[in-house]
Amino acid sequence: MKSLLATLALSTALTAPGLVSARPVTFATTLNNYGGDGAYLAYYVTDASGAYVGSLWMAGGKSKYYEHLSDWYRATGGNPAEINGITGASVGAGRSLEITLDLADALFDAGYTLHIDAAVEDMRDSPNEIAVPLTAEGAGTVTRGRRYIADFSYNY
Amino acid sequence: MKKTLALLAASTALTAVIALPALSEIRHRDHEEGVLSSLFGDDGGRLRLWFVSDDDDDHGYSRKYRGGDDDDDDDDDDDDDDDYGRRGGGMNPAPAGTVAPPQNGLFGTGAAPKVKVN
Repeated sequence: MKSLLATLALSTALTAPGLVSARPVTFATTLNNYGGDGAYLAYYVTDASGAYVGSLWMAGGKSKYYEHLSDWYRATGGNPAEINGITGASVGAGRSLEITLDLADALFDAGYTLHIDAAVEDMRDSPNEIAVPLTAEGAGTVTRGRRYIADFSYNY
Repeated sequence: MKKTLALLAASTALTAVIALPALSEIRHRDHEEGVLSSLFGDDGGRLRLWFVSDDDDDHGYSRKYRGGDDDDDDDDDDDDDDDYGRRGGGMNPAPAGTVAPPQNGLFGTGAAPKVKVN
């Protein structure tokens, strides 16, 4: 009986981590020198049908500006619970932001798309400035933004 | 006490002397002529108007930020020490490292987010 219990405990310990298989993924974002205040950036994921799944990161901590990240805001209602624990500072013009997140393996090669909305005070909002599929093949590919984001890539 | 009562009576009497004739004029006047003519007469006499103040505007605050945002003049959110407090209404999210990431199925159960700004 004791040996059976020990075996059961061991197999559970080996199996449990695999239930949520994850990997560290780094998002690298470089901003243009657009000549304005720090940019707010919302990183979020949609599924194959375009439906919002969840947020990965929010650069910018004041919720009253979130409405200017309009696509993200429309999907979430600006609910702070969507970004608790994954919020950092806004990013200055010309600066680079590198975020390393522990993300589920299931996110890749499954039709998910990563989006980035960008906004700068007193300047035009830029929803969905970046939209890239999350795939193994896409890792390391540099994507250019159209307004505030010079380039974006992800690696793992 | 007596002095206070006396002052009160005097001010009430003064108000009555000034206001009552105007009020009775207003009631009896043709409405189209308006209040001002009741007070100052309808003989085309000169009206003296004083510009008092227009300090109920927003001091020319720029509203260039689309969406009609009403943020404060002194906001400064382009640095690394964003205010995560609760002033100005609306809940701000919890910063990274203070609570676990949301349970949205996207995160593993491993390390906390790491951030680097260059």
